[in-house]
Amino acid sequence: MPELPELNPVVHGKLRLALLSLLSGVEEAEFTWLRAKTGATDGNLGAQLLKLEEAGYVAVEKKFVQRKPQSLYRMTEAGRAALTEYVQALKQLLGGAIG
Amino acid sequence: MAAGNEEQELKDRLKLIESMIAEGRCSTEHYGWTFLLWGVAYYVAIFWSSLCNYGLAWPITMVSTCVLMGFITWRKRGRRGNKPTTTIGRSIWSIWLAMGISMFVLLDAMGFSGRADWRITAAVAATLIGTANAASSIILKWRAQFACAVVWWAAAVVCCFGSETQSTIAFLAAIFFCQIVFGLYLMINEVRARRKGAIHA
Repeated sequence: MPELPELNPVVHGKLRLALLSLLSGVEEAEFTWLRAKTGATDGNLGAQLLKLEEAGYVAVEKKFVQRKPQSLYRMTEAGRAALTEYVQALKQLLGGAIG
Repeated sequence: MAAGNEEQELKDRLKLIESMIAEGRCSTEHYGWTFLLWGVAYYVAIFWSSLCNYGLAWPITMVSTCVLMGFITWRKRGRRGNKPTTTIGRSIWSIWLAMGISMFVLLDAMGFSGRADWRITAAVAATLIGTANAASSIILKWRAQFACAVVWWAAAVVCCFGSETQSTIAFLAAIFFCQIVFGLYLMINEVRARRKGAIHA
């Protein structure tokens, strides 16, 4: 019997998974855009993005635009690989019922 | 029972991934107003130039519309925050920007050199707009926009073979269907998408 894959706990968190999925479709995104798309609070969003950053799945660039702070997030290659592996594991766990 | 719940949870995760990827890539519908704006601008320029045969009617209207579009974009960004850049979005933007610059340079040169009549000018403009619509529709795999390209190309052919009146009617009809009606259709889609609300994760 083949061994079932384990889901990556960093990717598995619902908000973190939403963030990685959003970032996978764009080149880079602002904090405010991610907040609007997920409906998360500033604190929760910041904490989850920090976890993804610590795992090396997203990279952040902080700068000032017209004297206002701006945080730009983009997905790293490691993040893309982690999301791909997660989706494959998910499909395997569902027994090929989807996709 | 627990296994069933777990399976449902995993399916929900997969749906979440799909919806978020689609959300990130969704950008085209938010530009419906630009089609409408440019459609109105073309009508204003045609009306103005036909009224007093003023040679600068087109350049003044086009530059004013560019400034107005920049202002509206800036205001929208202020309200909703910058939309992220996507490769598809950048590709489409590059097509329309290149088309706009080409049209501005070529049509102004034709107008000021006095080597173009209305039919040739309209045919060139319709071909360029048709090309931009076709390229965008191929990238987006969007039949409705490709239909707009076909209408523009048909207008260009009519301008080449038809009389001045026929050319004007064809050009005005193309603006109506491919800018005004198509722009309104996009804006309605945008409002519908907004009503669905943010996806809370």
